[in-house]
Amino acid sequence: MTLTTLQKTYLLVLMLGMSAMTQAVLEVTIVKKDENAFPIAISPFKLLGNKAQDKDIAKIIHDNLERSGRFNALVPSTVVEKFDPQYWKAQNIEALVTGTITQQSDGTYQLSVRLFDVYSNAELLTRSTQLKGNAFRKVAHQLSDTIYEALLGENGSFNTLLTYITVKENTKGVKQYRLNIADSDAKNAKSRIKSSSPILSPVWSPERRYKDKKIAYVSFQNGHSEVFIWYPFLRKKLEKLPRFDGIASSPSWHPNGKSLVLTLSKGGNKDIYAYDLATKELKRLTKHKAIDTEASYSPDGKKLVFTSSRSGQAQIYIKNLETGRINRVTFTGGYNAKSVFSPDGKYLALVHRIDSDYRIAILDIQHKELSMMSDGRLDESPHFSPNGDMIIFSGRRNGKGVLSVVSVQGNRAYELSEYNGEVREPNWSNNLEN
Amino acid sequence: MKTKIIMLLPFVAVLGACSAIDNLKEKFTTNNGKVVVEDRGTGEVDAVDMEQANFKWQGGERSINASGMSREEVEKALTTLTANDGKLVVYFDYDAAAVSQEVSQEITKHVDFMQSNPKIRLRLEGHADERGTREYNLALGENRALSIKEALGVALEDRIEVVSYGEEKPQGSDYAKNRRVEFIYK
Repeated sequence: MTLTTLQKTYLLVLMLGMSAMTQAVLEVTIVKKDENAFPIAISPFKLLGNKAQDKDIAKIIHDNLERSGRFNALVPSTVVEKFDPQYWKAQNIEALVTGTITQQSDGTYQLSVRLFDVYSNAELLTRSTQLKGNAFRKVAHQLSDTIYEALLGENGSFNTLLTYITVKENTKGVKQYRLNIADSDAKNAKSRIKSSSPILSPVWSPERRYKDKKIAYVSFQNGHSEVFIWYPFLRKKLEKLPRFDGIASSPSWHPNGKSLVLTLSKGGNKDIYAYDLATKELKRLTKHKAIDTEASYSPDGKKLVFTSSRSGQAQIYIKNLETGRINRVTFTGGYNAKSVFSPDGKYLALVHRIDSDYRIAILDIQHKELSMMSDGRLDESPHFSPNGDMIIFSGRRNGKGVLSVVSVQGNRAYELSEYNGEVREPNWSNNLEN
Repeated sequence: MKTKIIMLLPFVAVLGACSAIDNLKEKFTTNNGKVVVEDRGTGEVDAVDMEQANFKWQGGERSINASGMSREEVEKALTTLTANDGKLVVYFDYDAAAVSQEVSQEITKHVDFMQSNPKIRLRLEGHADERGTREYNLALGENRALSIKEALGVALEDRIEVVSYGEEKPQGSDYAKNRRVEFIYK
């Protein structure tokens, strides 16, 4: 039997998919949904042409919408050929998605999608796009964003990427650390960097194009803390920042993606520096004999939030990069650390100690109000979703590291866990280009 | 070139401790920033074991060279320390890097030991318990190791290397046992 090139491609894709299963595939558990979640049906896509494959496009959209906690989504068992508002009204469904996938003679696919509003009996949108066989997942995420926005009037965060660290013990009981990336639904996971030395602090650069995407992270592979930059979509590209004197840690990107801030311990004194990747220039941003670390820019790049022990305890400070002025912003509690700005710049997510527990909190910067977002004992590494609607962080469940995602309003939540290892230090990319 | 030197001036103050201007020039003007390395992945989902990736350092390597003593010689020398009830691990209070009275007494034994073994070198590994954030703990672990280094005195400074693992290498689940500095002689 001879295989056509296309069939070979399918086989390869299938094999890659299967070997990916042995990678760090995270399990998604929906913990809590909005009581008024929007009821929507997503029909299986109609397939036209011999080799057309659904690639589970309806399922991906369904899972995305469900996970957001803002939809009660269902996929009917058969293709919905015709929009019948009376039928869906009787089912208490308020919106319907239908689609067709047509294979073209050149091996590409034509995808058409329609979104109907049951009560107004109106077609809210139609989308038609031509795509290659390997683009189905990406398109399913884009469509999820489109549907989310059409029905809720807010941006979705589906066409995005996650990065996180997994830790598993090998058969000899030695810990194996992996730096992983995955789609926003934790599927399509890849881990190409592993080490028996700790890997930590992965953070996505802000660019929207795949090939420009970078992850800065810290590795101990050379016996001490160093900052590396990985280009996950450029084959075989990994850079190490130059050896600065003392430890380098806690990298975070400038919103322009051209420079990053990091903590350097020069002569033992830990301060925050900006490092420009192109000019290789290093600029000192804080100077204090106490610990200054965990710096992160505001979305407009004009401010820098960081943790400092200058008061004698870990507290959060904001430096205005235009005036140079530094202000302390946390006054509640004896330990506040690892803060990041929300996408609108109005809030900070941070780690707050309450009694002997470390929990995630949100600080309203202007009104100085602190709200608790989690109830774990060792929660850490908070980051906002790109639309600012949710916060992802790592915590512990039954002695094992898991990722939690909670809505800012607290009414929705889901968890990402590793079957036989732990997962931690999540970071969520901004929306990818469409 | 001139502008570059002006730009570097602020760092002279910063780096007071390692002061040498030559050192600065080497670190900041040789333009050797990026090290691009090919990974050895065989395919999209293949992991590369980074331990095997070959990096070339071009900046000043600050880690302490091996003493030239063999493992056996170091072990043998260490018996004199342990016979004197010297500890190879010392502990710290929560969110603190200050050297306690108890630890001070240990330090004296290590100073004596290093003086009577002039070839031996020391790697101080600072650690933190798992409470709080990883990056802050990395800084805290380094401060603990630096406190010990300082307490050991300037005379031994050139033979001591300091690293921090933060909360990444706990000894167990007892927080108090994880807030520590380990003495690794070599």
